[in-house]
Amino acid sequence: MGTFLQQLVNGLELGSLYALIALGYTLIYGILEMLNFAHGDVFMVGAFLAAGVAAVLVHNEVAAVPAGLAVAFMIVVAMGGAGFLGVGIERVAYRPLRNANRLAPLITAIGVSLFLESAVQVWVSPAPVLVPSHALVPQTLIHTGGIETPFTGLLLFVVAVALMIALDAFVFRTRFGSAMRATAQDREAATFMGIDVDRVIVVTFFLASALAGMGGVLFGLHYGIVDFFMGYLLGIKAFTAAVIGGIGNIRGAMVGGLLLGVLESLIGGFISTQFQDVFVFLGLILVLLVRPQGLFGQPLTDRA
Amino acid sequence: MSAQPAKAVVAEPTDSLRQLWHSGPAGWNRALTRARVLLPFFLAALAVPLVLQYVEDNSSWIGAQYWTLILATCAMYACLAVALNLVVGYAGLLNLGFIAFFGIGSYAYALVASDQIHQHYPLWAAVLVVSIVTLAFALLVGVPALRLRGDYLAIVTLAFGLIMRDVVLELDRPPVLAGHQFGPDGLNITGGTNGIHQVQPFNLPTSLPLLGPVPHYRMYYWIFVGFLALCIYLMLRWRSTRTGRAWVAIRDDELAARAMGVNTFKYRLLAFATSAVMAGIVGMINAAQIFNAFPSPNFDVQTTVMVFIMVILGGLGSIPGAILGAIAFTVPPFLLQQFVFYKYLVISIVLIAVMVFRPEGLLGTVSIRPRKTMGGTVELLTAESTIEASELPAVTDTEAADLEAVSGAIVEDPEWKL
Repeated sequence: MGTFLQQLVNGLELGSLYALIALGYTLIYGILEMLNFAHGDVFMVGAFLAAGVAAVLVHNEVAAVPAGLAVAFMIVVAMGGAGFLGVGIERVAYRPLRNANRLAPLITAIGVSLFLESAVQVWVSPAPVLVPSHALVPQTLIHTGGIETPFTGLLLFVVAVALMIALDAFVFRTRFGSAMRATAQDREAATFMGIDVDRVIVVTFFLASALAGMGGVLFGLHYGIVDFFMGYLLGIKAFTAAVIGGIGNIRGAMVGGLLLGVLESLIGGFISTQFQDVFVFLGLILVLLVRPQGLFGQPLTDRA
Repeated sequence: MSAQPAKAVVAEPTDSLRQLWHSGPAGWNRALTRARVLLPFFLAALAVPLVLQYVEDNSSWIGAQYWTLILATCAMYACLAVALNLVVGYAGLLNLGFIAFFGIGSYAYALVASDQIHQHYPLWAAVLVVSIVTLAFALLVGVPALRLRGDYLAIVTLAFGLIMRDVVLELDRPPVLAGHQFGPDGLNITGGTNGIHQVQPFNLPTSLPLLGPVPHYRMYYWIFVGFLALCIYLMLRWRSTRTGRAWVAIRDDELAARAMGVNTFKYRLLAFATSAVMAGIVGMINAAQIFNAFPSPNFDVQTTVMVFIMVILGGLGSIPGAILGAIAFTVPPFLLQQFVFYKYLVISIVLIAVMVFRPEGLLGTVSIRPRKTMGGTVELLTAESTIEASELPAVTDTEAADLEAVSGAIVEDPEWKL
């Protein structure tokens, strides 16, 4: 039972990271009906930005920066940088193909994903980069009733959940949020209602990518290491989470992410760590077969 | 289709080149796909290593073997590009796990032609095994995935590629059979990260009549070129059959095709499985050529993207384009070894640029350009259906007057484009 609870906690931490990235997939899919394969790599770039800021502030000792301020800098740079990267990707690679055949933006998205990976590999570092998280956040272990978790894990979970609640409030409570939902429902009709669809799409890309950037900061602080290939697998898993929750559904992405994290942890803990990913993707295929609209999604109508 | 009137025009020989130039990518593709272009091309391709050898024997230049190897790699990627073109260009399916089938083929061959599990099948049996194994995997993925919408197919195939990579990496010590002891180190199926070594090459004659002794590298170049020719022949034959037309119909408008009674699932699965088996056999030839089956390039998603850019640059749906794309992305990395670190950076930039500026590629028959008007459904527009004004029969004023008199409509010189 102890192991089970421990795996559950580990899974929730991992799952909150998946959920943060899954939100990005679901936001963009909801609005553009396109699968942004590059999203996982935006997360990776965010993590590298955070790692870079952390390295400058901790090692170079330009000025004695308190840890809290350094983390705040990391968050601002990573979220902002990733956000603008997302907007740039949309402008350069997706907007010219917005009314093209569905295959076209998918293929460019693959290209963008490979571009970001190779760019970081070639221009930043082909080897994993360490994040000096020990100098930034407390490295204490928290013990509660036989379960132990690092402070950063708790941080990951709390921040992720807080961001999800904030995003949910933004989308469902604000005027801009309702413009986003209108665009998601019917882009043309939204245009006729006077909504600036281009602006909605840009803001959506910014939000989605900034969330991924935040995910990158938390990943760096929690695991202490980032590499150029990490966004790939994590991105696909986050997409799996979005599909489980019902793609296009924001609350679904949160639940799907947490669920996937827990499932993966439990499989790793009780069945096989070697074949953990295999089981995760078999789960994806199973969900798509049995309930392609996911747990909370609307039944899909085939738009051919 | 609506390009029929063009055939009625008997052009002057001097006009034909100009017309060809004006016929656009689809026209160039048509011209290059003719037998009188393809046959000499393949005969020349077969002769190239002999020419290289002759030059090497009669000059101070050495490099016949090196260049034959490069060309063999070219031919291998051309096979892969043609196979991917079948699934993406003909049937419009985004198979992002494509390269996994290549890997499955090479591993399947390596298992039945090495000491890994102590099996040494004859060539015909190995071909059979490889085909059946890749077909089985294609059905395993295709049957569930092809019932889904396009984007989900992409993600399921991508996940499949990753699963296969994990499985191959981990099957050097399968957990299920951990209790068994097949050897001093237990059961080792795939060799993990090391791959499978000492795969036996095909049992082929080492010398041919008229040609004398044939070295290994030249033999495998010919095998690749031969297989490429076979694939292209099959595909060109297939294109003008009921199946080929069904693929085009599905790609152009799935809903309409379904309404016309086309069993979309069946034809998509056929395209998916055929392309997978082709890739598997290419993988098998590759394993026999290099005596090894490795996990790394065989299952890497970058390799899939590289084959994609070959198909996209050449033009979706175009067979000569796929060959051109394969040449364009195989030869430069060999010549620019010092920049090989930037290979995928360049590939990704070219991929994005082609998609944004010229989505139909060099010789594409399918236009996936954005539509200028707003529209609910987005469909593929076939570039083949556009007729240049120059292809239309010219109407003289007297003829026009006659036609006007008969039909009561105003007849104008067709200077507009359809």
